[in-house]
Amino acid sequence: MLVGWFLGAVVVLASTLASAQAVILPKPRQPPEVAMPASLGRTEDALVPLTLTVNQDGTVSEVSVEESQGDAIDQAAVAAASQWRFDPALREGKPVAVRVRALVHLVAPPPPAATPAKIESSPTDTPVSAAAPPLPAPPAVPAPDQPQNNQPHQNQAGTGTAPADRPAAVTVQGRARPTQHGSSDFVVPVGRLQAVPRKNASELLTLAPGIFLSNEGGAGHAERVYLRGFDAREGQDIEFTVGGVPINESGNLHGNGFADLHFIIPELVHSLRVLEGPFDPRQGNYAVAGSADYDLGLEQRGLTAKFTTGSFGTERLLLLFGPTDASIHSFGGVEVQKSDGYGQNRDQRLARAMGQYQGSLGKNGSFRLGAAAYGTRYHSAGVLRQDDLDQGRVGFYDTYDPRQGGDATRFHVYGDVESRSGRTTLYQQVFLIRRSMRLRENFTGFLLDQQLGRQQPHDQRGDLFDTYMDEDTLGARGFARSEGQALGQRQELELGYFARADRVSATRQRIDANTGDPYVTDTDLASTLGDIGLYLDGTVRPIPRVAVRGGLRADLFTFDVLDRCAVKDVSRPSSDNPPGDASCLSQQRFGVYREPTERSSTAAIQTMPRASLLLGPFQSFLFSVSYGTGVRSIDPNYITEDVGTPFASISAYEGGVSYAHGWGPVGMSARSVFFVTHVDRDLIFSESEGRNLVGGGTTRTGWVGAVRVTGGHFDQSANVTLVRSTFDDTHLLVPYVPDLVLRSDSSVWTELPLRLGGQRMTGSLSAGVSYIGRRALPYGQSSHTIFTIDPGASLKWQPFELGLEVTNLLDTRYRLAEYNFVSDFHSQSAPTLVPARHFVAGSPRTVLLSLSVTLGGS
Amino acid sequence: MLVSRVVIALLTLPWVVGCVGNAGGDLFEFEAYGKGPDDAIFGEPYRFTTGRDYQVQLDRAVLHVGALYLNRAQQTSVGSDTSCTLPGIYSAEVTTGRDLDLLSSEQQPFPELGHGTDDTARTGEVWLTGGDVYAESDPTVIFDVKGSAEKDGIAYPFSGKLTISTNRKVTPQNPALPGSKPLCKERVVSPIAMDLSPVPGASLVLTVDPQKIFANVEFSELERIDDDPPEYRIRDDDGDQPSLNVYNGIRASVGVYAFDWRITSK
Repeated sequence: MLVGWFLGAVVVLASTLASAQAVILPKPRQPPEVAMPASLGRTEDALVPLTLTVNQDGTVSEVSVEESQGDAIDQAAVAAASQWRFDPALREGKPVAVRVRALVHLVAPPPPAATPAKIESSPTDTPVSAAAPPLPAPPAVPAPDQPQNNQPHQNQAGTGTAPADRPAAVTVQGRARPTQHGSSDFVVPVGRLQAVPRKNASELLTLAPGIFLSNEGGAGHAERVYLRGFDAREGQDIEFTVGGVPINESGNLHGNGFADLHFIIPELVHSLRVLEGPFDPRQGNYAVAGSADYDLGLEQRGLTAKFTTGSFGTERLLLLFGPTDASIHSFGGVEVQKSDGYGQNRDQRLARAMGQYQGSLGKNGSFRLGAAAYGTRYHSAGVLRQDDLDQGRVGFYDTYDPRQGGDATRFHVYGDVESRSGRTTLYQQVFLIRRSMRLRENFTGFLLDQQLGRQQPHDQRGDLFDTYMDEDTLGARGFARSEGQALGQRQELELGYFARADRVSATRQRIDANTGDPYVTDTDLASTLGDIGLYLDGTVRPIPRVAVRGGLRADLFTFDVLDRCAVKDVSRPSSDNPPGDASCLSQQRFGVYREPTERSSTAAIQTMPRASLLLGPFQSFLFSVSYGTGVRSIDPNYITEDVGTPFASISAYEGGVSYAHGWGPVGMSARSVFFVTHVDRDLIFSESEGRNLVGGGTTRTGWVGAVRVTGGHFDQSANVTLVRSTFDDTHLLVPYVPDLVLRSDSSVWTELPLRLGGQRMTGSLSAGVSYIGRRALPYGQSSHTIFTIDPGASLKWQPFELGLEVTNLLDTRYRLAEYNFVSDFHSQSAPTLVPARHFVAGSPRTVLLSLSVTLGGS
Repeated sequence: MLVSRVVIALLTLPWVVGCVGNAGGDLFEFEAYGKGPDDAIFGEPYRFTTGRDYQVQLDRAVLHVGALYLNRAQQTSVGSDTSCTLPGIYSAEVTTGRDLDLLSSEQQPFPELGHGTDDTARTGEVWLTGGDVYAESDPTVIFDVKGSAEKDGIAYPFSGKLTISTNRKVTPQNPALPGSKPLCKERVVSPIAMDLSPVPGASLVLTVDPQKIFANVEFSELERIDDDPPEYRIRDDDGDQPSLNVYNGIRASVGVYAFDWRITSK
């Protein structure tokens, strides 16, 4: 009986690699000979794909069979693999436990010309891509020092030692990651693209395809997000989370689901998961266009201090701390920043702090504790009329109303625990959020103040809205995920829940332009909102290379809204007790008394099926089709007692293909996706209200293409989105939505042939390029296009780094947002009552210089 | 491999979803003019007979128009709304004013272009204001008229300069509705009913018929301010009924004002 040498193979399609810190693969020391059990009487070899854990001491544990070849063969393979010994995987020079897939070659007895040791790759469910989630391997036992991250698979990430004919990387043990749901499920490591100039953490979203950001409310106002034909406003159609902690604000009067991402320090963003479409049962409220989760982490360990200064009086001081003996998910950061802003009325002051600690719970668990604090005060310029600009009545960067602006705060704490028990992973998170926001905006000038008969005669007192909201949110989420064998394949099931309670107080008043006093209260609400969701998410693999993934989600939404200004007018006011100019009345017709308040309550359940069919990989290609429904809870303003369906429903379909492959140190991933989404009650922006209002049904049809290529000294990401959004009844285009979005992010870095004090320097160049196509506007118009280039450069020597960032290099006068609507800013001799073009000016060229120093760490 | 080819096609297929296209409607600019009736001749008096059998000769009739507006909404009641701007969406506006010679059928251009949408207008407005429509006091002479009326052989030469200022303020009778008669409403002639769709390349023309202004004026009851020769005055307040009728005449939403889109020669 000849037994050939064989070598357990480390599987090819890696799905996770540290972007800046490579993982050195485990190396087998002395592969055991594996003989086919003679009792089986087989004359042919057998290949048994396994998944196993290579522990920190090089031993093997948790061996499981991926594709059964028969019980006896399986047992022989498992027994053999359990005896293997490895030089353990290393990360940052430290042994780490890794979960790998391997192929055991059982050699049948003679012939003597036994096949040589083979190293083969085994099929995986998902090809590696920069935008793909990890391999759908069973969640590994978490270890504190081992984050998960995603990139195109690289042979060795520059440091591996596996043979060239064994392209490989490993799934580093860490926390369980959601499984991929379709081709529009992008997990995007920021990596070296952190160097591309960006104003804030919101702009990191543009690393995913089809995202365009604008902002008409000032530097402290949440960005308006366009995604795949959706005008998601300030997040009302995208479920935003940071490490699972919700960001969307239920009951925010400016927009239900408002998501202000400015509390996030951009340097602490490690990766994002952007799922474009409602295809994952984990997605909850507001996941209409999709969802985005920010995963925080700090690659650079030690203490980093960074000072930035530049155009428009900008100054920023940032301190970051990453303990050297902890994972990248343990960090702290604090920042203070000020800027005078460009043009008129765009100054801002802000401070923010974030911290998180990840620790281990024995061998099989980890926990995280974190907190964030944020405060800002800012002014904004608002919109300008194009005809006033054309006539020279205003300048491009001017403002009509310098009272516009606002302030905001956010404080949140959270904790979570993840543990593994056998083949089951358990996760539990709780969070507590305190948030306040004040916003003053004037879109229409002096247009909306109508004379009521019961009021004293008055002229137009001005349309400056003063909106205030404060909110407390308490919530939790959790899941149990288990795997098993059936049909000869690995099957998975996850059961999870989400619960959230919000208490919101919101008011909106209008401010007299002459006196600065509020002259009318439009809205005054106190709301208690609830959202409890349950979901089931499974992966069924009936045959190899076929996976059906998905399940069902059900959410119960509860609304209890106290309108503290329920009566705003009366048709026959009392002459003995005239209400006069009061906003909130306590009388009905003919002076009959009633309370000025009114409470409305309702609740409803929405069930949302979601499913994806994944085929492959076939030569690095993975095909998928997906279907899903989503939900967006309705603004408490619209709640009526016992009206049963207080939300908008969404149906989405897509089909696409993913590709991922590596050539030596270079890895590439690409996606191509076609999609269709329908909303029954869309949100349409109303300039007179300064917010989105519920409108009719709309449909979006489009295509997304994305590619990312990374190597030892470069990282290039590019994406394009084409979309057509129309109203169902008129088939006219939905206004303000761009039909074409192009984005490129590039970064190159290398050691320079320069030395200082005998030490080499490293340099980097980066650039972000955006092109936004024309957007349909009301009244048959279309907007201007937007084209910007944002380059950056840095020079690093020892602990010091000098950086230069330029945004809008070409200094183009671009219109960040354009609208057609009615306004009267008293800029002409008589009121302007006909729709006209308005715009928000984009930032001119901005140059920022930074100096940072890092002490300790690596 | 076939799979590879199909996949490559999917990966590289550029789907042109078309040009930006249409979100509904259109915005445009237009010239605007005002004029008197078609049978008026510039430089000559304008003669007509009223419903009270007065033969009237106007020697001067100048109306100051502050602004023009067209609205998409069809208004159902004239006096129910206390706002000076109508609900619904305005479809055209001319925001710079001028004095119109009502004794000329020649088209007199407004100083600046108007702006509008291609929507059909159901209601028109003429704003008789010299500046801020909400101002308490406005000394602008809105209507400057001079002429003579004759009936039964008796002539009544008259003249008048009318303003719309504090002299037109109406005190509401119901103390619970102090704002029900805002002064701005006195300056806005509305609703002028119409069914008017814009014509590409056309100009908006306002025609004012002075005959309708005097339809109900009893000239013999005007204030007599001189005897030799006799002269009568149209008061700039509500002091007598004929003066009030002239004031109501220039504010009448039916019969006095007419809008039209016309291709005008330049």
